[in-house]
Amino acid sequence: MITPSATELLAEIADSLTAMLPEQRWFAGKGRPVRGVSPVRATDLAGADPRLVHAVIEVDQGEQHRDRYQLLLGVRSDLPDNLGHAWVSACGDQAVYQAIYDPDLTAVLLELMAQGKDLDGLRFLAEPGATLDPKQRSRPVGAEQSNTSLVYGQACILKLFRKITAGRSPDLELHRALAAVGCQYIATPLGGIEGELDSTPVTYGMLTKYLRNAAEGWAMATASMRDLLAESLFTEGASGPGGPIDPAEAGGDFASEAHRLGQAVASVHADLATALGSSPAPPGYLDALVDGMHGRLDSVLRQVPELAPHEDALRAAFDAVRDLEGPVLVQRIHGDLHLGQVLRSVTGWVLIDFEGEPMAPLDARTAPASPLRDVAGMLRSFDYAANYAPLGDVDPEQRAAVTLAWTTRNQDAFCDGYAQAAPDPRKQTVLLRAFELDKAVYEVNYEYHNRPPWLPIPLGAITRLTTAHP
Amino acid sequence: MSPDGYLVEPQADDFEPATAAPTDPYWYKRAVFYEVLVRAFHDHDRNGAGDLIGLTHKLDYLEWLGIDCLWLPPFYDSPLRDGGYDISDFRAVLPEFGTVEDFVVLLDEAHKRGIRVITDLVMNHTSDQHPWFQESRRDPEGPYGDFYVWSDKDTVYPDARVIFVDTETSNWTYDPVRGQFYWHRFFSHQPDLNYDNPEVGEAMLGVLRFWLDLGIDGFRLDAVPYLFEEEGTNCENLPRTHEFLKRCRKVVDCEYPGRVLLAEANQWPTDVVEYFGDPAAGGDEAHMAFHFPLMPRIFMAVRRESRFPISEILAQTPPIPRNAQWGIFLRNHDELTLEMVTDEERDYMYSEYVKDPRMRANIGIRRRLAPLLDNDRNQLELFTALLLSLPGSPVLYYGDEIGMGDNIWLGDRDSVRTPMQWTPDRNAGFSGCDPGRIYLPVIMDPVYGYQAVNVEAQSASTQSLLNWTRRMIQVRREHPAFGLGDFTELGSSNPTVLAYRRSHLGEGDTSDDIVLCVNNLSRFPQPVELDLGEHEGGVPVELTGGVRFPPIGELPYLLTLPGHGFYWFQIVFSDAGREP
Repeated sequence: MITPSATELLAEIADSLTAMLPEQRWFAGKGRPVRGVSPVRATDLAGADPRLVHAVIEVDQGEQHRDRYQLLLGVRSDLPDNLGHAWVSACGDQAVYQAIYDPDLTAVLLELMAQGKDLDGLRFLAEPGATLDPKQRSRPVGAEQSNTSLVYGQACILKLFRKITAGRSPDLELHRALAAVGCQYIATPLGGIEGELDSTPVTYGMLTKYLRNAAEGWAMATASMRDLLAESLFTEGASGPGGPIDPAEAGGDFASEAHRLGQAVASVHADLATALGSSPAPPGYLDALVDGMHGRLDSVLRQVPELAPHEDALRAAFDAVRDLEGPVLVQRIHGDLHLGQVLRSVTGWVLIDFEGEPMAPLDARTAPASPLRDVAGMLRSFDYAANYAPLGDVDPEQRAAVTLAWTTRNQDAFCDGYAQAAPDPRKQTVLLRAFELDKAVYEVNYEYHNRPPWLPIPLGAITRLTTAHP
Repeated sequence: MSPDGYLVEPQADDFEPATAAPTDPYWYKRAVFYEVLVRAFHDHDRNGAGDLIGLTHKLDYLEWLGIDCLWLPPFYDSPLRDGGYDISDFRAVLPEFGTVEDFVVLLDEAHKRGIRVITDLVMNHTSDQHPWFQESRRDPEGPYGDFYVWSDKDTVYPDARVIFVDTETSNWTYDPVRGQFYWHRFFSHQPDLNYDNPEVGEAMLGVLRFWLDLGIDGFRLDAVPYLFEEEGTNCENLPRTHEFLKRCRKVVDCEYPGRVLLAEANQWPTDVVEYFGDPAAGGDEAHMAFHFPLMPRIFMAVRRESRFPISEILAQTPPIPRNAQWGIFLRNHDELTLEMVTDEERDYMYSEYVKDPRMRANIGIRRRLAPLLDNDRNQLELFTALLLSLPGSPVLYYGDEIGMGDNIWLGDRDSVRTPMQWTPDRNAGFSGCDPGRIYLPVIMDPVYGYQAVNVEAQSASTQSLLNWTRRMIQVRREHPAFGLGDFTELGSSNPTVLAYRRSHLGEGDTSDDIVLCVNNLSRFPQPVELDLGEHEGGVPVELTGGVRFPPIGELPYLLTLPGHGFYWFQIVFSDAGREP
């Protein structure tokens, strides 16, 4: 039998792919029927049996929805049991399967990067100074939304972008820029997989150092809050049963971590400014910013009646930004900063995933912006972490007092830490508050549609932010 | 005194030496140490204070508990102005503790039970009552005239800090007898020996040989960083101090193989490793050194419900020479000091300790383990499990194995030095003396008092902390990985779980020993997913009960732990222990 070419293979299994896609966690087009799948490009990366094929497919979900996805397909004449779950389709007497689950094949990617191979326009690169050990076995990381990541040994992690959009990934771009200026607060970039589609650069993958002993900021913050709630609501305190206690007195106090986190974020901002520049915002930046905030507010107001009572206060807070005097500095920023995007490693905090706001188009994600937007994102995240812990029969007022005390303490600590390495964000109250409110408006919309019981979190924040600073 | 002015001091030949301990040159790497205060353990002669014979009578208990080595704080003759660290005769025993003969009996009986004994030796200074000092001040031209650091001015060595800032204003004190100032890094009643004088080094080696000849198994060398002084330095950790330690080590290795030197250098681990000596030689200074910063980090980690305080300090701990070993502890007879803090760490320690009133109060002052942990059995077990499984040889503090309390109304450090609680009888079975005569009152409060907490009652209960501790020591003994194994932290996404692997590769016909320790630092139950991919196909066998857990597969290994719970597993690759 003649072995089909990579492109032929892809065409042959198109129907199976059509069926498989909606079940994939990373597939962005869920909810719309998949009409068909067509190959964009396909390249053999290795071997005959097993064989590794790199593919980009275009998924047809109607006129406005033609998205491109990256696939790694394995082909074996005899698929071992432990890869049965990765099966995609039969092709002749061979099995086609998702190669990310096959360490024998994923090792090829590392090897190609180590060799700096260019295969049919698919460029595998190692970053300057990086040494890669292709003998490391990989395993996929669970629970990822839009991409697939493979951890090799305990040494490095390869993030494979699934939905392929035109333009170089800001994640790879910013990691490289930060590494070039010696930033300590990122995972060192080690390699990449890049190419062109329709003569536009695209990024397929990014390899960074794996922080094997790191934990997410979100997990750390919620552990702290859990401890505080236990101490203040379920403990007979000296001040009587269940009196709320000062978070500073609680064992799980997070403030010193929040402080160090603030320092880390400020340092990354400073390094981004060093690497890629910082300048006064161009004329019209503030007006465009405020117009955008109003625009999002308009849209959410139409959908969420609960937001109506806050409209005037929100608009006033946004409009106050127009009258700001003195230059507002803009630069490249993280763009989607929250406690889930920071890892506590044994040497300190590390920021990850510089992809920017997931839903925004590339030019918006790479446009210079005020670093206060990142600060606002983190401040909102503290509010969420404080309110996250589900609890049964707890007096809501008492709970609110405890969560507010925790939020305030940690937001302050974060800003204190930030102010040690960059200008104090609290000195730019008007702009910072507008960013926080804009983010909260987005959250209102999200919670209203997805998690109605959580709606009070952003609404409560809007009330506080608009009354605390009249 | 001899005709040439030298003092005539006792020689080891004047005594019968003890039976030697079993030979194993690296015993200290696997040993469980037990710090016991002679005064506090058992009073044989009913004078109200413990003595060497009393301690000897309790060796059966220590053997039963599984102790490998006793560490005795100084029992030398002393005016006791600094808890016996002010030695007035290196070759005599404090009369209230007994005699040199009594000590030899203790060594002999301990060795028969496979227990070794080490004691503190203060090399840096003596009591001002020591005959060397008395001779030195009396006769500057005599053989001891140059034994101490004398100066006409009190302005020499200005860069050396004053360590005991609460009581001392200077490192120099004027002696009216000699009419000169003498140098002292600690109390003014503890003049520093002058190691620039080669006779001092020889005299101190003579002291080492005296006790080694009698059969002692080693020394904890107190305050080692300060032996030498040099103008223009801070007079700490000087190269010549290291040279002298190398000499001591050579004496031990050549003349007394199998004995150990344990350095007390309350410094950051990166500085302490210097005291292990040359790594290429496997270490040629101290065999062991205390890891001081680990202990407060353990308390901090559990209080914060975060593994990072421990993870960080272990990540910052450099590798040590092949034949060296850390000593680790939760509590000892001293209070915790934070003086090991270096510049880069000061911010961290400051933000974590000084801002947390409870951390400051609890760790800085003199409390025992059980009261520090609110007598919470789960936490007591977790802390003990950490002590027994983290890298280093664990040092237990007497009484902590039964969860003894403290008496915060006693002054200075005495709150944690009360009599050992043996029985619910008079004086807790510690002494047959009139209760009014006892050196410190026994603990009598309703929770920790001797009627509730004592060895007799806990020996009889299978569920007691004592029997639990004994069992854990047994388990530790069965697995060389705990003492000899590499340490690798296994990260996870759950910051409240501290998981690590200790692995010891077998030599010859011994098999590999891979132990997995998983600790939940939180009061709440926690799940954890561990990446055990390197051990795929292995089976974790729980060490206290022998239960086989599900085999390790490709996916992360899921475990759930109760609040403050922990697991010790051995990873095995055979079907041993399985039903046919």
